[in-house]
This record gives sequence, structure tokens and C-alpha cells, in this order.
Amino acid sequence: MNSAKLRKRLTAVSLNALTAVLAAGWATIIVWAVVVSFRPSSEPLGRGDVWFGHALTFANYLKAWSLAPFGIYYRNTIIIVGMILIAQLMTITLAGFAFAHQEFWGKKAIFFFILLQLMIPAAALLVPNFSTIRKLGLFDTTLAVALPYFGSAFGTFLMRQAFLEVPRDLVDAGIMDGCSWWQLLWHIYLPPSVPTLVAFALSSISWHWNEFLWPLVVTLTERSRPLTIGLVRFTQLGEIGARWPLLAAATITVIAPLFLLFLIFQKQFIRSFLHSGLK
Amino acid sequence: MSAAAPPLSHRKAPKWLPYLLVSPTLVIVLVFTAWPTVQAVYMSFFRQYLNFAKFRTPTFIGLHNYRELFTSPDFLQVLKNTAIYVAGTVPASIVLAFLFALLVNRAVKGIGLARLGFFYPTILPMVSAATIWMFFFTPDYGLFNSLLETLGYHGPENWLGNPHLALLAVMIVAIWKNAGYLMIFYLAGLQNLPEDVFEAASLDGASWWTQLWKIAFPLLRRTTLFVSTIAIIDAFQVVDHIFVMTQGGPSGASTVLLYYLWQVRFEDQNVGLASALTVVLIVIMLAITITNFVLSEREGA
Amino acid sequence: MSLKQRVFSLAVLLLVLGLALAACGSKATSTPAPAATQAPAATEAPAATAAPKPVTIEVYYPVAVDAPIAKILNGYIADFEKANPNITVKPVFSGGYGDVKTTIQTTIEGGGKPPVLAVMLAADLYDLVNAGYVVPLDDFIKAMPNGSAYINDFFPAFMANSRYDGKIWSIPFQRSVVALYYNADLFQQEGIQPPNSWQALAEAAQKLTIPNKRWGIEWPSGWPYWLFQPLAIGSGQNIVKSPTEVVFNDPKVIAAVQYYIDLSHKYQAMPEGVQKNWGNAPADFAKGAAAMIVHSSGSLSGILSQAKFKVGVMAVPGKAPGTYATVTGGGNFYMLKGATPEQQQAAWKFIEFITQPKYAADFSIQTGYIATRKSAYDTDAMKAYIAKVPQAGQLKDMLQYAGAELSCMNLGKVRNIFHKYLQAAYNGQMTPEEAMQKAQQEADKALEMFK
Repeated sequence: MNSAKLRKRLTAVSLNALTAVLAAGWATIIVWAVVVSFRPSSEPLGRGDVWFGHALTFANYLKAWSLAPFGIYYRNTIIIVGMILIAQLMTITLAGFAFAHQEFWGKKAIFFFILLQLMIPAAALLVPNFSTIRKLGLFDTTLAVALPYFGSAFGTFLMRQAFLEVPRDLVDAGIMDGCSWWQLLWHIYLPPSVPTLVAFALSSISWHWNEFLWPLVVTLTERSRPLTIGLVRFTQLGEIGARWPLLAAATITVIAPLFLLFLIFQKQFIRSFLHSGLK
Repeated sequence: MSAAAPPLSHRKAPKWLPYLLVSPTLVIVLVFTAWPTVQAVYMSFFRQYLNFAKFRTPTFIGLHNYRELFTSPDFLQVLKNTAIYVAGTVPASIVLAFLFALLVNRAVKGIGLARLGFFYPTILPMVSAATIWMFFFTPDYGLFNSLLETLGYHGPENWLGNPHLALLAVMIVAIWKNAGYLMIFYLAGLQNLPEDVFEAASLDGASWWTQLWKIAFPLLRRTTLFVSTIAIIDAFQVVDHIFVMTQGGPSGASTVLLYYLWQVRFEDQNVGLASALTVVLIVIMLAITITNFVLSEREGA
Repeated sequence: MSLKQRVFSLAVLLLVLGLALAACGSKATSTPAPAATQAPAATEAPAATAAPKPVTIEVYYPVAVDAPIAKILNGYIADFEKANPNITVKPVFSGGYGDVKTTIQTTIEGGGKPPVLAVMLAADLYDLVNAGYVVPLDDFIKAMPNGSAYINDFFPAFMANSRYDGKIWSIPFQRSVVALYYNADLFQQEGIQPPNSWQALAEAAQKLTIPNKRWGIEWPSGWPYWLFQPLAIGSGQNIVKSPTEVVFNDPKVIAAVQYYIDLSHKYQAMPEGVQKNWGNAPADFAKGAAAMIVHSSGSLSGILSQAKFKVGVMAVPGKAPGTYATVTGGGNFYMLKGATPEQQQAAWKFIEFITQPKYAADFSIQTGYIATRKSAYDTDAMKAYIAKVPQAGQLKDMLQYAGAELSCMNLGKVRNIFHKYLQAAYNGQMTPEEAMQKAQQEADKALEMFK
């Protein structure tokens, strides 16, 4: 073995070790939470004793669910995420189609106006948007959480790009055949654009599943509170204190569905996030 | 915007159709982006406290809210904290993201697992992540302190209660969460680089890192520009972990702009001042996105 | 499109459809009527013979929907409705104190009708009155056959945050105090008497400290004003004087800040700096990692269920030997503006009903809050309970040392100012003197416009 080869081998080994150490460090957070969520609550954590207890128990999950209405939070999160998704898929498809396929007066101006949404993130507009929601009489409803996201400048932009890549011949043939505009959209534009739509959908789902600040401001009661708010309220319940197994169980409860979905469709998720960032 | 001309205009579609199609999106942008911007500017010239009957009706007070902001030591500390937060989390996340991308962009068994390990924080809600991190920062038996102790650290352990460490603690969580997300952009960038970059780098193993740093990183300049924009905007708009971990304390040491905005509006009930803060935040956001736009234009589309 | 992608798209589609259905089928339904009729019919005489007009009153209450307290209250409400068939009480349970206040705020500002009754923080008195949200209760009290006896039966400490402008604005309901919990077994082992002064407390804490293993005392300070107040009161000067006057820079208050710092710096008996351990402290205490803690009386039942030793409770010792101090906290019933006279009458009836000694005692036994009325402690149920859990009686006895919780105009702002500088002093960024002077200056400024 010559020295260059040896050195190369050594580098590879040390890089592998570095990768392993870093990845393990990064993963400790979730691994710890999973492990401790099954630790009996009668065994408080202490110095050097923060992982497994003497038994595994599911009791923390049951206790967490009995202390806070996670079922209702789940329902609300699903409704919010679902409403946003359905509305977005429709609005971005229609608007994307108009911008890609149709000519109309003021098109450029309208397009740039819509892109304003990308320049001023919703978080910054918390205060005025809160009063708008109140004036609309939507305070403390799931619709209030979802409504501002019903239109997406970014999604519109993505769909426009996807539609522009549909071959002209196909479109022209469709027009020759006398397709109406929606037949054109449905049969010719949409099928090749499904991957874009799916990518957008995935990042939309994970973004809104995880959102905190906006729902914190516009929700108040169990009738509209999503999981993220429910979790934070749970951690602040007086009786919870520092019962880490219980907190871990609640946290895992909130994370689980999206996380499982992610584990199964890892590639699609990563691609979707890549898409959602590439402007 | 690409210049591809749209196909033949469509005879069957009525003239108003495109307006109808864009109207839902347009209305949302109007109501939830354009209008609130105007409203924030307008309200920032008024005094309005919601917790006092006599100050509940807005009274015009000109620039008073802005004067109050820029002379308030609290706000100056918030600006300073925000600057530290952004200047700390953004470069750190980017460097880590690039490192991670390099490490997992190798054909080694089990590398998928490592990629998963780096990326998964992206899909966790920030509040869940912060809840778990709270434990890691617990004095005495928290894992973060145990780890530091084995590395020879004997400084203060009370991360979230210490004015010099609280901001750092929330920054660490943000870096942990963001690095994996930014990694995928570098990963995509690396995969688009010509093969010989890596061959040159792998020939001489010892300088693997230097080579990549000197060759690949510059080649990925556009990616870096893009990634830093996402990271900066993110740093301004994600404060969820502060709600969970420090509530901005101790003594305001970990209060950043958006969190402060929330406090002024929803704790102090001071609508006028909160509106002025909103305007400040909007100006910063616009400055960032416009700078990014100009820079990427200069890079050439 | 690969197979996996197809399957995936299908899955997403199904999910979307499912969600759509879920969204349609789930119009928020109101809380079902309480089925529980745990207690037999109430002692109250049934309503007047001529069938009165039906009245509905809404009551906002700061707990989560299916928290144990919600169930307990639903039981009381069922009793009340049985005794008053013409009155329907609709409880709305909404999270924390802040949430109740926010709901009412948003409802009123949005031009809507607020509930008739709400349980809100006693300390929010001035904010609520000044915002014009609540009505005084004196007329109702005067209309009672023995109104002053009714009011005098409440512990005076709990009434401290009810009076303003010569009127009574709220009736105590769910109340707590700050307590010093100590590990009585350890005290006995080490031959330590329950401390009766700052000096004694510090020495006990010092003696019970084992480096890296056990703290003599833990005293949370992540949200510090409340647990600090017993120190100021015990030093001879509470931090609040009137709705527009706070006292942060009095030498006695500064001495109290210094004492807190001394516990860690001078005596090395307490974790240093700001202790972000509101939740950890009871856990540390229960598992023996802290020999004493200062905490809410509300933590008693949790601690008793976890600790494997004898738990002592007492008021926080004061500076001078033989003096003690504590401070009250928790929520009172407020009546909101905008209800009809019939609703207000019904609401008052409800307050009277639910504050009866019988219910006050039962509420205290079931939740761990301190019963708000003296006569509650004469009930058999309470006597039996105290025989079993003597600590509950000791908590009540601490009320004689209690001062008023920090409460003033512009409370949110003033409290934030105090927190900022108190923590700066705890963390050694400023001397107590310097910090309290600054806090006073800023607080005075924040209060100026309300004078």
C-alpha cells in the first residue's frame, strides 16, 4: 500500500468517524425524547441517570393525553393544515395557469404585486393581521389560522414555472381539438406538473403543521388551538413541572405523525424542501 | 421571469377569465400583505393602549412612537440582541450546512442515516424541539452540561438563567435546527458540480477539506447567497423557541425583535408602539430581500 | 412517475379528501352539559314559587377543557342549576388567566358581549377597572341580609386585591400563597428547628447543603416578583403601596434583594443567579436534591404525592426573629359590564352559592387551593381533611402573615420592569441598590400617565 492510498484511506475513516459523531450528536435530541418518554415517572432523572429507567411504560402517553385534549388539538391541526392545503392547491393552480397561459392587461404588475408576499413575511405583519382577523369576526377559529395562507405567491410562481415547461405542441394540439380552458388545464397542463404540486404540498404541510406564533395570537380556546400551542400550554401546566418523561411523551405525541410520514417518504420530503427554497 | 411567450391566446376563454383565476391569490395578498403594511404605517402615528379606557381611542401623536423606540434602552438592547442572533446563527448554520453536505455527499454505507440525522430537525416543530432542548440545558443533570463537562468545561451551567448564556442557548437551538435544512441546498449544489472537483480533492486526502473549501465553496457562491437569504429571513421570523425556553429573559438578555413586538402588543397592549415596531421590521425585511435580489441579479441569472 | 411516487401521490390525495371531510364534519360543538351530579342537592333554598324568567349566564374560567378542576366546577354548577331551575350556567374553560383576560378584551373591543362572570387574577384589578371591563359588587352585597358578615368571612389577605376606589370589585375564589417547603426528616436528622428569621433560614440552608448533591434551598426566579415578595414583606416593606405607587428602591426592599443573593454567594446554599426552575424545584425537593424550596401552596399535593419523607410547610421567615411573611396569589370572580340586571342578579346568586363554606371547603380539598372563607375551616369535611393532611391547615394559618400581591396600573409593563432589574441584580449585573433605583425610575415613568 503506498502512502497516498493509505492517507486516502485514513481520511475516509476519519471523515466517517466525524460524520458518525456529528450525526449521532444531532440525533441525540430525538433519541433521548423517545427513550425517556417510556421511562416510569416514578423514577426522576438525576445526575448520570437520564436515559432508561428500570422498566418501559406507556403510562406517560396516557397521562399526557388525560391532562390535555391532544385529540382536539390533533383535529384542529389537521383541519388547519387541510384547509390551507386544499385552498392553496386550487389558488396556485388557477393563478399559475393564468400567468403561464394567458395574456391580459396588467399581468406583469399583478404578478409583481403578488410577489410582495415573498418580500414581507407574514410573521412581520402579526399585529395588523391580528386586528384584521378580529374585524372579520374570525378570532379563535381554525379559519383564522388558515385564511392568510390561502393564497401563496411562492406556489403561484412554482406552478407558473411548471406550466411554462409544458411543451407548446401539446397545448396547441389541445386548442386545435377545441378544449375549453379548464380541459386544457386539467388534461394538458396539470398531469406533468403533479410532482411540483406534490413538492409544494409537502412543504406546505410541514410548515403549517409546525407553525406557532400566528396561531398563538389568533386562537384562544380548544375549539381552534393546534398541536403546537397545545404542547406549549401543556408544558406550562402547573402540575407538569419538570416531569421530563411526561413532557417527552407529549412532545413525541405532537411530532409523531409528521415524523413517520417523513421517515417513509424521506426523498420526497427532501426534494420538496429543496423545491420550496429554490426560487 | 423567463420570457417564454404564452401560447396563442385562447378564443373560447372570456376576457375576464384570467382576472377571475388570479383573484383569490390577489385578494389574499391584498388583505394580508398590502393592507396590513399600510395599516401598520398609519397606526404607528397614533397612541393607543388597549388596557386603559382613556387611551383606547387612537390619538394622533406624530412620530412620538418612533422617538420613544429609538430612545428606549430596551429597544436598543433588543436591536443588539437581534444583531448578535442573526450574525451568530446565520454563518454558523451555513458553515455547518456546507460541512454536513460534504460529509454526506460520499458513497459510504449508512450515509443515508447520517443525512437523516442532520435533516430531521427541519420537520420538527420548533416548540417541540425547544421543549426537549430545555432538558439538555438543565443545570446539574442536563445532557448538554454533562457533555461540556467531559470536554473540560467548568463554567456556569445555568444556561437559560444566565444573562451571558441565554441568548447563546437559543442560538444553539436555531443552529441545530437550521443546519440540516440548509445542507440540502449545498447537497444539491455539490451534485451539480463537475466530477473532477471531487477527484482532485480526493487525490490528496490530507487536504480534502482545504480543497473543497477553496474549490467547491466558491463554485457554490450562488447557493451560498441563496442559503444566506433564507437563513437571515428565518432568523428574523422564528422566535418560537424563545417562548418556550427563556421568555426573552433574564433581564431581556434573549429578547429579539419579533419577540419584543409580541410583548409590546400582547403584554403591554401598546398598539401604537407595536405598529412602529412592525414598520421597523418590515423595513428590515424589505432591505434584506431587495439586497438579495440585487446581488443575485449581479451574479447573473 | 415511479411507482413509489404514484403511491405517494395517491396517499396525499386520500389524505386531502379525508381532511376535507373532517373539516366539513366538525363544526365546533359546545361543551356537553355536565352529566355529573356527584353531590346531593344543595343546601340553598329552592327558588321563589312563581316561576321566574329563565336566565342564562356565561362564566369564563381559566382551566383547560378537561382538566380535573373543570370537572369539579361542572359538578357545582349542576348543583346550582338544580337549586335554581330558571338559571342556566354556561361555563367556558379557556386555558390560563391570560387567555380569559384576552378573550374578554377581544370580545369587548370587537363590540361583542362579554360573559357575565369570569375568574381572573386578583392582581389584575386595576387594569380591569381602568379598562372599564368590570362592575363593582357593592350593590349586591348591600342587598344581602348580612352582606358585611359575608364579606368579613373571607380572609382579609384574600380581599386585599379586591378593594379600589372605595368599592369591592371581586370575590376571592381560587387562591394560593407562597410557602416555604422543608424536608422535615432532614431537619430532624440534623437537629434543625424550622427557621424563624432570615439568619436562621440561611444557616439551616447552609448546613443542609452538600456540594453537587443537595442544595440547602431553591428559590425559582424565572418569573420572580411573586416569590420575591415574601422577602420584601418580611423585610418590612411591600413593593406596592397604591395603584400608582410602587416601592422598589426602599432600603428594606434592597436588603431583601441582597438577602436572596447572599443565600447563594455568602452562604453557598442556593443555586447562583436567576433560577429558571419553577417546574424543577418541586421535583428536586421531592427527590431530595433540595432540602427546602420556596413555591406556590398549589404545589403541595404534587409534592406530597412524590416525596418519600415528611414534608413541612411554613411561611417564609422574616428579617427580624419571630416574624414571617408570605404573599397571596390566584384568581377572583369578577362581574363584567354589559349584562342585563336579571343576568347580574343570577350571577351574584351563583357567586354566593359557589362561595358557600361547603363548596369552598370541597374545592380546597379537591384542588389544593386555600379555601377563601374562614367558616370553610369549620366544616366537617375540612376538619377531616386537615386531620389527614395537616399541611393544608398550616397553609391557611400562614394567611395572617400575608401581604398583597403586586398590583397596580399598567401592571404588565411595571412587572416587566421589576423583573428586568430584579434579575439583573440576582445575576450580579448590577448591585441591588443600583438595580432597584433604576427599576423605581422606570416604573415611576410607566405609572406617571395614570396618576
